[in-house]
Formats: sequence, C-alpha cells, structure tokens
Amino acid sequence: MSSDLRYFVIIVGCGRLGSYIANKLSHSGHSVVVIDSRESAFNALSSEYSGFRLEGDATEFDVLKQAKTDQADVLIATTHEDNVNVMVAQVAKKLFHVPRVMARVFDLKREKVYHHLGIETVSPTLIAGDVFLESITTSPIAKREGIGL
Amino acid sequence: MKILIVGGGKVIYFLCRTFVSKGYIVTVINRDHDECVRLSRRLKVTVVHGDGSDPQILEEAGAFTANAILAITPNDEDNLVICQLADLQFHIPRTLALVNDPDNEEVFRQLGIKTALSTTYILSSLIEQRASFDEITNLIPVGEGKVNVMELLLNENSPVVGQTLRDIAMPENSLVAVILRDDETIVPRGATVLQSADRLIVMTLPENYSQVLKKLTGESE
Amino acid sequence: MNVKSILIVDDEKNIRLTLSQSLEVLKAEVDTAVNGEEALAKLKEKDFNLILLDLKMPGIDGIEVLRQIREIRPDIRVIIITAHGTIDSAVETIKLGAVDFIQKPFAPNEIRELVSRVIDRDQIDKQKVADYASSIEFAKKCICERHFDASIEHLRAAISLDPSRPEAFNLLGAILEIQDDILEAQKNYRAALSLDPTYEPARINLNRSTTWKPKSNIIH
Repeated sequence: MSSDLRYFVIIVGCGRLGSYIANKLSHSGHSVVVIDSRESAFNALSSEYSGFRLEGDATEFDVLKQAKTDQADVLIATTHEDNVNVMVAQVAKKLFHVPRVMARVFDLKREKVYHHLGIETVSPTLIAGDVFLESITTSPIAKREGIGL
Repeated sequence: MKILIVGGGKVIYFLCRTFVSKGYIVTVINRDHDECVRLSRRLKVTVVHGDGSDPQILEEAGAFTANAILAITPNDEDNLVICQLADLQFHIPRTLALVNDPDNEEVFRQLGIKTALSTTYILSSLIEQRASFDEITNLIPVGEGKVNVMELLLNENSPVVGQTLRDIAMPENSLVAVILRDDETIVPRGATVLQSADRLIVMTLPENYSQVLKKLTGESE
Repeated sequence: MNVKSILIVDDEKNIRLTLSQSLEVLKAEVDTAVNGEEALAKLKEKDFNLILLDLKMPGIDGIEVLRQIREIRPDIRVIIITAHGTIDSAVETIKLGAVDFIQKPFAPNEIRELVSRVIDRDQIDKQKVADYASSIEFAKKCICERHFDASIEHLRAAISLDPSRPEAFNLLGAILEIQDDILEAQKNYRAALSLDPTYEPARINLNRSTTWKPKSNIIH
C-alpha cells in the first residue's frame, strides 16, 4: 500500500465491533490506536494486530490527547454506550478537527439531533433491518401452499 | 418556573427540597427504580424513571414546557447529551451540566453547552485560595476562572472598618457588589460606611485577588 | 535528507512493525532488533546512522544499551521511544547525547517528521542559525555531540529570540542539571512551566529534580 493511503485511525471501544475493525485495518496496513477502559478488552485483538493499545476512558480529554487524536485521519467510536460514542465523536470533530469521524448509535430516536450536530452515525439496527427487508422484497420467496388445516 | 433534574444521590434530594421550597415545579429523571420510589415518597416532585438522555423520557418528563434543565449524573457523556437534546430538540432555555473531569468544562463550552460546572475545579480552587483565610467563606471562579466572586467577613481589625467605600480606593478591577449586614442586603454606594461583621460580596480578577484581600483585611497572603 | 540506515530496537513486535512501515517512505534501509543484546551485535557488524531505541526492554535496559552504543559509535543519532508519562530518565539520556523522544502511540507522520528532523540537523550550518527553531536544532546537535557549553550558548540565543516559548528553558534546565547546577536547572524548568503550564517535559523534569533522592545528582 502506498503511504498516502495509509491512515492513522483511532478506534474507541475494543468490543466485538471495535476489535473487528481494528484487526482489519491493522491487517491492511493502517496505523491504528485502540482505546478501551478495560485492559482485558484488548484480548479481542488478533495476534497479527500491529497497532497500539491505550487503556483509558475516551471521554477524558487527556486520554484522547495521549492517543494523539490531533494527528488522526479517522476516528470511529464503537463502545456500547451511545452517549460515550456521541461525545467522543463531537470532541474529535470540534476540538481535534479529525477529518473523518463516525459513531455507532443504537438508539434511532436521537439520530436527528446527532445529524444536526454534524456527526456521521451508523446504526446497527438500521443496517441489519435494511438487509432483512431488502432480502424479503427483492428476491422471490416461494409461498407455502395452503395445507388446509 | 419548571425545572428538570437528571441524576441521583443525596445532592438531588436536597436540590429538589430547596427548589420546591422556593415554589418551583420540579421533575426528576432517574435511572434507578428504588431511588425513584424513595424520592417520590419524600418530596413533592414528579419522578420519571428512565434514561434522561432518551428523548422519549425527556418528553414524558415535560421537556417541551421546562424553563431549565440540570444534568448532574456522574457521567460526563450523559450530561452532555442530555443538555444537547434539551437545547436542540426541546429548546429548553437554560441548560446546566455538571462535569466530573475538569478538562471537560472547556470541552462542553466548545460543544455549545452554555453552563458547565466542574465540582473538582470549584473545590480545588476553594481549597487553594482560601487555605489561609478564615474570613473568606465562599469563593467561586466564574467565566472559566477569569473572574473571582468571594464572600469576605470584615472583622474589627480590618483597616477599612468605619470608612466609606469612596475613601477606601479599591484596587483596579475589583468591586464590592453587595454588603450583607445582619438581615439586610445592601447594594453599596460610594457613601456607604463599612462596619465590622459586614459580609462583603466582592468581585475581582484573579490577578488582583490578593491585592483586594490585603486592602480589605490588612493581611497579606 | 540523506538516510543510510536506521536500526529499530524494541521488544514489542507492533512497535517494530509500525516504525518500519512508517519509515519505508523515507527510502531508508531499516533493520530491527528485539533487545539490547541483538542491537549491540548488529551495531558491530553494520553502519547505521540512526537508532530508534526503547528504554524499557527485558535483558539489558535501554539506558545501558545507550551507554554501550556511545562507546562503540559516539557519532550515532538516537531517538528514544517512551510510553506516556515515563520519561523520568530524560536527563540521563541527554547526558548520553540522546535528546529526541517519541511517545507511544505515534502517528506515522509524526515519526517521519522527527526522523527527518534529526537527520537534517547534522547539515545545519552554524553561520545560518538565525531563528528560534534553528537555534534549538543546533543546540540539540551540540548535545548529541556532547558539546554542552556550546549547546547552552545556542539555547540562550533561542531564548533571546523568543522568550515566550518553553522548549529552550526546559532543555537549558536539563543541561544545567547534568552540570550539577540543580537550583539554576529548577529555575529554568519553572520558567518553562510558567510560560506553558501544560508543557509536559518541564513538569516531569521539575518533579524529578525536586524529589529528594538518596543518590542525588548533587553528590558526584
């Protein structure tokens, strides 16, 4: 990979989603820092993961500073707490001027406000829901014959 | 006035009690079911059980008609989102957030929260600045610490007792805003004479804080 | 910039990998060592002009490796890799001519910029030192060559060019500390901190130098 396609990416939260993204990005040659407040969470990283691990609470300004968020090209907030993701995303965008910031948000009711605040949100419910719906409406499904109970 | 408070603990209980006694209509939002039951038994407030950063819960609690909201949960991220929702979705005129990490005071301000209070910051500056002065009973940094507001008790040894404010020549950038004398509250003028046992509410800039102290108490820091 | 070859010494695989990948662009020849022993062995065989060295490694510790590097190759440039809040041996490394630090985690750009700066520093012409940045760079060059008095001179020049920045005060403090002038050193750390209360290196230096230790630097 040429060096200008290599990003410096910060991932907040090392759960299933965070570790999945971190492993993939690191594997394809990007420079990755994963932040999680529990050290044990880093066990989810693969042995090939070549990025950094930073133990700390990302809603603490100092922790984002330590992660060198000021130099990041991308930040992805993936913790299981919507409010943490939304706060970290805003701080990254407004205070550290990270060019690309994304946050996972479970609760759809709040999405409107987040959009208003200019945060790019990804909702797992919406994505999975759309895939199911798409699959039902686009591919033909053989209807059951009436069994006549 | 209608106030929404999101959070829990003893602070909430006493805050509610104070607000209710002033005639405010208070609604509390709390995540803990048992605490909700306790609060509603002991206080004349409406208690809503749920997540205060959930717009539906805020609406149930009457966010559309509230005049002010206080977000004082132990999590900075929750307090931020509560105030942002209150402001952007429900247009509550006054929002106040508590921050635990003192760095977040500035962070919140940058993210559009008008009032963010850091207890850590307030307590630590109280301790640092009043350590050697028993006369100062209260000191609050306001405006990101650019202004100090203090309450100062004049004892009989103070060099300014018996003088008018005009004669004292207070240091630059300072102001005796209010005098508390017995049960009276006096907004002083130049001719007001200071007396022993007066409590002065004084505003200063941090840089001439010690000059002001010296002037009013005669002692230096 | 003219990099011949760089040696990365770190026991962590991810650090070695991140560093080598980041430095590929500089067209440098990059070699790695997993500990001090391997580093010293490679140093005897091959000609490196820059070493990136982790201070915390199993086996011979980083400071001792640095000391031995100095015996084999006094001219080599060394960048110290540290974890957050652990640069308490800064003065020790400066004494050994290593004045550049990079804190984990690091961004690829950050590494490239530092490496380029350290290597370009050798080309600085004393006659052309005119502004704050080049005075600091030249002072660091003097430290690498262990010309501490010359370094002090350039740091003082830097301060007079821009008395509002903390870096020169902090470095000056470190050199004074090496020369056992603890009180003057602390004055300079304090000056750096009062200019910028968030300037971490000065805070660490001041804390360390004001903490009394039985084996204090004052005694030798």
